[in-house]
Amino acid sequence: MPARSGGDEEGGEGLSWEVTISGFGGQGVLFIGRLLLEAGFAGGQQVSWLPYYSGEKRGGMCTCFVNISDERIGSIFISHPDVGVAMNPAAYKMLEPTVKQDGLLIVNESLVKTKSQRPDIKTIYVPSVEAARELGDETVGNIIALGAILASAPVVTTSSIIKVLNQMMSKNKRQLELNKAALLKGCEYS
Amino acid sequence: MSERTLMGGNIAIAEGAILAGCGAYFGYPITPQNDLLEYMAQQLPALGRVFLQTESELAAINMVYGASATGVRAMTSTSSPGFSLQQEGISYMAGAEAPCVIANIMRAGPGLGNIGGAQGDYMQCTRGGGHGDYYLLTLAPSSVQEMMDLTMLAFELADKYRNPTLIMADGFLGQSVESIVMRDAVKKLPEKKWAITGAKGRPKNLINSFEMNPLDHPARIKLLLEKFERMRINEVRYESMLLDDATIVLVAYGSAARAAMTAMKLARKRNWKVGLLRPITVFPFPNQPLADLAERGCKFLVAEMSGGQMLEDVRISVGNQNEIKLVNTYGGVPLTADQIFESIDLMM
Amino acid sequence: MSEHGVNDLQNVIYQRPDIMVDRATHFCPGCGHGITQRLVGEVLDELDLKERAICIGSIGCTVTAYEYFKVDGMEAPHGRAPAVATAIKRCHPELVPFAIQGDGDLASIGMAEIVHAAARGENITIIFANNANYGMTGGQLAPTTLMGMYTSSTVKGRKQEHHGFPIRVSEMLATLDGPAYIARVSLHNPANVRKARKAIELAFRAPMAGLGLGLVEVLSMCPINWKVEPVQSLDWMVKNMIPQFPLGEFKCLPEVAEMKKVVKG
Repeated sequence: MPARSGGDEEGGEGLSWEVTISGFGGQGVLFIGRLLLEAGFAGGQQVSWLPYYSGEKRGGMCTCFVNISDERIGSIFISHPDVGVAMNPAAYKMLEPTVKQDGLLIVNESLVKTKSQRPDIKTIYVPSVEAARELGDETVGNIIALGAILASAPVVTTSSIIKVLNQMMSKNKRQLELNKAALLKGCEYS
Repeated sequence: MSERTLMGGNIAIAEGAILAGCGAYFGYPITPQNDLLEYMAQQLPALGRVFLQTESELAAINMVYGASATGVRAMTSTSSPGFSLQQEGISYMAGAEAPCVIANIMRAGPGLGNIGGAQGDYMQCTRGGGHGDYYLLTLAPSSVQEMMDLTMLAFELADKYRNPTLIMADGFLGQSVESIVMRDAVKKLPEKKWAITGAKGRPKNLINSFEMNPLDHPARIKLLLEKFERMRINEVRYESMLLDDATIVLVAYGSAARAAMTAMKLARKRNWKVGLLRPITVFPFPNQPLADLAERGCKFLVAEMSGGQMLEDVRISVGNQNEIKLVNTYGGVPLTADQIFESIDLMM
Repeated sequence: MSEHGVNDLQNVIYQRPDIMVDRATHFCPGCGHGITQRLVGEVLDELDLKERAICIGSIGCTVTAYEYFKVDGMEAPHGRAPAVATAIKRCHPELVPFAIQGDGDLASIGMAEIVHAAARGENITIIFANNANYGMTGGQLAPTTLMGMYTSSTVKGRKQEHHGFPIRVSEMLATLDGPAYIARVSLHNPANVRKARKAIELAFRAPMAGLGLGLVEVLSMCPINWKVEPVQSLDWMVKNMIPQFPLGEFKCLPEVAEMKKVVKG
């Protein structure tokens, strides 16, 4: 019988990150997940990216699960992330109770007015809309949130994200510079 | 070629099909597999192969039938409601022994259900699905890499057995992106002397499921049944993880198997003897390996995103002596490692 | 046979087309399908298509058409012949797929497939046998059943308020841009059979030239289900069928009209 048997992949203690980003469709939730995915992949790690959304293309709930790991990835769905990014109140309601102990929660302060009561996690409040407006373009609020992740959790390096941006936006210098500036601005929140 | 790349699950099926020499794709838009159809629309014409967006899933499967009858490697992809519509054509193809590959990227049913991933078509996929005595070889990938690899295998097996072969994946897997290793293109496709290519220098060929004399029909079905028996003997595929010392065996496929893998790791951290048997073929089902584990006295936890459909196959394999539990979600909700872990905890 | 002197005749004026298998048909006495198949056989011979034609049997009385021709063939599910033919032609442009479809097959369950194949301008040939009822299943109401007509499922006759109206397929499909040639013919007398033969040849020639779909609607006798004698069925056709389904060409691209010069008869 040509059965495939295998893997003695005992639950080793390789480095792995589970990141959940959630918000409205159109806030760039999937895109910053994609940047993490690309950067993790470029770093030679195992990665997975799973979008999860309602039917609408804009304005519905949109969540993105990213795994970055040194070893074979199990669940592509994440119930207790190491890092949660809550871009709107519904996302905050989902993520605030579920982020792992000692985990990181990034809260989009522009839309979420609640403060976390959890002492066992690190919470960073980012006024993404106002901060993006300062850069002259409200659409990069998601990149600012991504910068805030990297400032507190070395999921991937900031330089690896910049490399991905360089590749993706090589034909649009203005867009590239704007995104880089947003990333660095996000890193200031820690 | 061993180039690593990032790829979406649905795209990996499309790429696997292209690498396997798929010469014709026919499909109808339905979420969550639209990117597969769109990718084929871009790629196949450029390769000089046939792509057609059809008026319905019915037309799609019947075009696959027509293409297959001419010896071309042909496929369609769809999601649950569309797969139901295609049962007519699939039954005809099984009866006429016309090989093809169908990818069913399952969503929640019944009826319109919703667009969330699900595994509720298990019975339909593993029991033939349409009318008459037949089965589909059914492959259940659980990673993007397997979406590609099993699609390539599906074309090979379809031709080997002259039978429709199914890729049964859930919508979550279809939409996920992972890193995969690219495969080499199949260089030589099998010769098909039975195909209808014009009766040139040979007697005519016929592709049909009908016998003019009804008394001849049982003999035709007998040949089909013997073929399905050969599949049961030769084509069972599964992955086992940490089963050597396991007292609790998780049984899961598709994205549920990925959650089960994480749950198993959590359990192992507590030194609980939990292993995973992941069916890769669900028809034929790995009955014997499960029966062997039952013989050893294992308990079983079936994890699936349906009301408990694969559960029945596990019961058939295991019998009545061992404890069998179900942990599941349905209605388009992903199964999480947490849920599975809690169920393991209850069985300890 | 030779004792009757048939083989000694100097000039054979009527014989089975070479491409047809030497066997009796399974059709009922007086049925029009045998004539239609023979006309298709004559055209296949005329165009030398033995090595290129693919006969698609579509469900209904015509399903076993492939048994009667010495060409490759296959069986399509009920109504799906245009889809099957589409794929064959797209995968192998050198082949000449054709289907003989009944009225239930084409105009009821397979309406989507024929409309879209026609709209796409598929280069396939469809012979549409219209006998105003479901022959094979015992003579039920078809989309082409005439007003007031008795069938096994309209025992008080077809009534507008309950069953609606019959569909004129040729006229409807002729509104589309994809077809190259659409005609309705009848088999009720030799002159019309000859016209049918010409139309069928054009319905093969047009798609073979890449001009689009060729379709011939053949009004075909079904004496058993019309509950008349075979000979009476010819008059029944003239009296009842032709007024509802007028004969003629409904679509003929100029390039197809040009082909008429080379079509015999």
